[in-house]
Amino acid sequence: MLARVANNLFWMGRYIERSEHIARYLNVNYFSSLDASNTLSQSRQFVLRSMLFLVGEKIEDPNTILNEEEVLYKIGLNPDSPHSILNNIKNARENANSARDLISTELYESLNKFYHFSLNYPVDTFVKNGLYDFTTNITEMSSVLRGKIRDTLLHDEVYAIIMMGMNIERATQITRIINSKYNDALKAQMDCGQELGKSFEWTTLLKCTESYDMMRRFYKKTPTSISTLEFLILNPKCPRSVMSSLNQVYHHILLLDTNKYYNKSSTAFLVGKVRCEYQYKHIEEIEGDIKAFIENILESLNQVSIKMEKEFFNY
Amino acid sequence: MSNIENGTFSSYLRNPSLFDEIYDENGSIKMVYQKLFDHFGSHTVKDFVQLNNKAKASFFNQGITFQVYGENETKEKIFPFDLFPRIIDAKEWDIIERGSIQRSKALNLFLWDIYHEKKIIKQGIVPMELISSSNNYLHQMIDLDPPGGIYNHISGTDIIKHSDGKFYVLEDNIRCPSGVSYVISNRTALKRALFGVFNHYLTYTVTDYAENLLDLLESVKPKGVDNPVCVVITPGMYNSAFFEHSYLAKSMGIELVQGSDLFVENDFVYMKTIRGPIKVDVIYRRIDDLFLDPLEFKPDSALGVPGLFAAYLKGNVTLANAPGTGVADDKAVYTYMPEIIKYYLDEEPILNNVKTYHCSRPEELKYVLDHIEELVIKPVDEAGGYGISIGNTLTASEIEKVKAQIKETPRKYVAQPILSLSVHPTYIEQSESFEQRHIDLRTFTVLGKDKEFVLKGGLTRVALKKGNLIVNSSQGGGSKDTWVLKN
Amino acid sequence: MSQEYEITYKAKNDYESPVNNAHWQFLIIPEQNLTQELISVDFTNSINAYNEYSVNGQGFNTIRVQPKTAFENIVFTGSFKVRKHVVNPFDQLNDMSPVAEYDLIKTLDFKVDHEPFLRFTPLTTLPVDHEPSYVFNFGKSIFENLQELNTWIFDSFEYVPAVTNVKTTLKEIIALKQGVCQDFAHLFCALCRRNSIPARYVSGYLHQGNGYIGDTQMHAWAEAFIPTMGWVGFDPTNNILASGDHIKVAHGKDYSDCPPLRGVVYSMGKNETTHSVEVLSQQQ
Repeated sequence: MLARVANNLFWMGRYIERSEHIARYLNVNYFSSLDASNTLSQSRQFVLRSMLFLVGEKIEDPNTILNEEEVLYKIGLNPDSPHSILNNIKNARENANSARDLISTELYESLNKFYHFSLNYPVDTFVKNGLYDFTTNITEMSSVLRGKIRDTLLHDEVYAIIMMGMNIERATQITRIINSKYNDALKAQMDCGQELGKSFEWTTLLKCTESYDMMRRFYKKTPTSISTLEFLILNPKCPRSVMSSLNQVYHHILLLDTNKYYNKSSTAFLVGKVRCEYQYKHIEEIEGDIKAFIENILESLNQVSIKMEKEFFNY
Repeated sequence: MSNIENGTFSSYLRNPSLFDEIYDENGSIKMVYQKLFDHFGSHTVKDFVQLNNKAKASFFNQGITFQVYGENETKEKIFPFDLFPRIIDAKEWDIIERGSIQRSKALNLFLWDIYHEKKIIKQGIVPMELISSSNNYLHQMIDLDPPGGIYNHISGTDIIKHSDGKFYVLEDNIRCPSGVSYVISNRTALKRALFGVFNHYLTYTVTDYAENLLDLLESVKPKGVDNPVCVVITPGMYNSAFFEHSYLAKSMGIELVQGSDLFVENDFVYMKTIRGPIKVDVIYRRIDDLFLDPLEFKPDSALGVPGLFAAYLKGNVTLANAPGTGVADDKAVYTYMPEIIKYYLDEEPILNNVKTYHCSRPEELKYVLDHIEELVIKPVDEAGGYGISIGNTLTASEIEKVKAQIKETPRKYVAQPILSLSVHPTYIEQSESFEQRHIDLRTFTVLGKDKEFVLKGGLTRVALKKGNLIVNSSQGGGSKDTWVLKN
Repeated sequence: MSQEYEITYKAKNDYESPVNNAHWQFLIIPEQNLTQELISVDFTNSINAYNEYSVNGQGFNTIRVQPKTAFENIVFTGSFKVRKHVVNPFDQLNDMSPVAEYDLIKTLDFKVDHEPFLRFTPLTTLPVDHEPSYVFNFGKSIFENLQELNTWIFDSFEYVPAVTNVKTTLKEIIALKQGVCQDFAHLFCALCRRNSIPARYVSGYLHQGNGYIGDTQMHAWAEAFIPTMGWVGFDPTNNILASGDHIKVAHGKDYSDCPPLRGVVYSMGKNETTHSVEVLSQQQ
């Protein structure tokens, strides 16, 4: 496989995954805030800030009043905003275009439909009453794409590269979502005196990652900070967890890695090392210093990405 | 004007002065089209509106689009596709196929000759200006033997049927002829929209093009290579034919590369893969000669590969089509095709050439000036339809102006009779009905070492504007699925 | 009689910011032919990038350099030793009459065989309204005519360094009455071709020990095909025939076929390039 094309496939995977997480975050936060148990969580300004925080545009000034339609447009369909869902899908398609000869017709057609759907989605409808419809469609179409990737591509190097991209992105996005909701829970604690461990925001967090039902089934209890973080970070059985993503990344890097011997400068070695670190961690170590955890895991994922670039995409 | 007894076609107006492909010489519908008519008769006009929309969506979803650059935004457009297929029976196809191969072979021998002994020029059969005034004649190619002896591996021949019922060639495209992917996607789209009609016909498949092309590329591998690595090189995803490039690479199962994916070391070509460099032996190139190698040709070209030409010169890589092939698709060469075919193959041309008057010859110049209303005047050195005057559309003062231009530099002009392209029923969106429109046909011929192949189908282009004779997509043309029948 | 020359070619490139992607092709190695023998070739670059010996489209020897690591400065140094065998061009003369010569160059076979060097390129096209400034005397042999053409250019044009560049057309040069060696070589070729005599542009080195004009760059002259003699070199810049002091590198239809250095460099910011050439001789 051409190095340039491998890079394209890797990023196609990342952008598909990224657009899905942003879409779901908008959807879940917006709609669960409508009947949240405390006034802050119900506040529209609070929710809009949280959305911007996720896409990396933290609003520092507490007095800023955000306009709902503008924020939704910016994160959803604004072609000039680099983080918008539309641009993520566009980037996914551009990357697929350059690698078009390597991916299945079925996958390309689905991605192309996905793109035309977003491109032609009426902006007016979206910012006024189409949020649910649009974001639900995006998450569903991402699932279709994931299915096409799994079922219409040979499970060879092409597949492994895409899966690497998707899982590195998934771990990154889950971590960012945790960060964002943790931040919201802190605010809710300061504002309404809600106990951090039992914050309403943990439920929203689980829903944002489509893991609420799984979590309830696993713990059979109302989510707390400990159980939620343990489930989303360390539980390998939860397909959305950081641990599960790291396992996937490790599995797929082994398909690409041709080093017959122990090579401590390879991507595979680094991935294995990061994976082991989390495999043998307990949640109390993390809960004590969530900030450090978040910085640490994001940095590790970034290092993996850089290493991959050097080892496989260098051209 | 006569009407057809068939619900969907009751409004189909036949202009008897045009050659309509669906009628035989007695004015009744040809047998081969009858079943199609019966099938279409069972559809209402509304059905066609729907089917037409479905077909369009199929192209959009397959991403078979080209970019239209506007002031504010870039739009993706599809190349319009017509639901009514064109049918070519076995007898007619035989003429087209043999004729296309004959021209490709003759052009290949011509190219070999003008880059080696130049006998055809020294013997006075064709004038020296064919090479000396051509910018596409590459001196770097003189005395170079391309692998397998092939220059024009892939040729596209534009053929029309005139009102006399005979086939004429308008142009031989032997640089990087495009359009073959439309042949295949038209078939896919028509199958999706109108699968029922296929039950009534034994039609050749068009999907075997890729395997034949790969066979060809492998047959012209450099000396000493057993299992050649073949690639397709594209200018990139913003090129209007990118879909075709990726389609071809994918259906051949080979890599689609850009210039930056390749590099040359010790005069061998390598591609950069995730496992390091892999040597490349045969390149199906879809970039023009002058962009191939910035160290040999256009220095500001970022599309090519520095050092590629040296690797070619050393015989370490094959380029298809060979560099310098473009000299043979100049208009001036076209006018000598009957002589060229006769000279190299000792055969009469199977497909007719349009009679061409060279204004450089005094007696022909006189004819042109006397009959300008019946002629198309073309400058010899312009491409893309620029500078063409169609005699019967000119005003008296325009005619005088053209005459003056010709008299001033007669060697710059040739003239041809105005041809009447045959017409074919075509679904027209605006009127939601079938109407007569002019069509042509581009065939795709593949020439390898001891093998040749013509894609059984080809691209039928249709001028969607009423009365328009220009079928190019830039002039609002569309295309049709083209069926070649097995019997 | 033979003479040995030692040629040193230097090119120095400085870039404002690091360059990651660069390709160069040098056309500076002296040609091997009947009158010159290449004794040694040495080529180095300051960043130890690989020097790849290859050929260009005309078959002349080249050196390609494509660094794999980023750099801001690079110096290329080429050293060549050449042994020249001086041949008297008059020895080559055979006894064809001027009439027969002019008849021969008018034949189709001759024109076809020499087509590349009879072609007017953008750099060798005379202006349309240009009066034939130098008129051939068909009573004299081609060789005599060309010698007079050589002198005519030398007398009518002034050598002024840097007054033109490699893209200057003949129209401008004729208007200016000034130029450098490239321009005079182009003019010589153009006037030959206008009179149906094949002519080619030659790039090479000139040993300036005898007080010849040129500068510390590469030199250019022209070769014309004379049926009685074959290819003969003329140096209109110095009003001499190309001789022992002319060390040929390559030829082409015009300058654009044989620039000493072609480069494709993707860089940001300013850059500066300097070249120098030194030719030393040792009498044998």
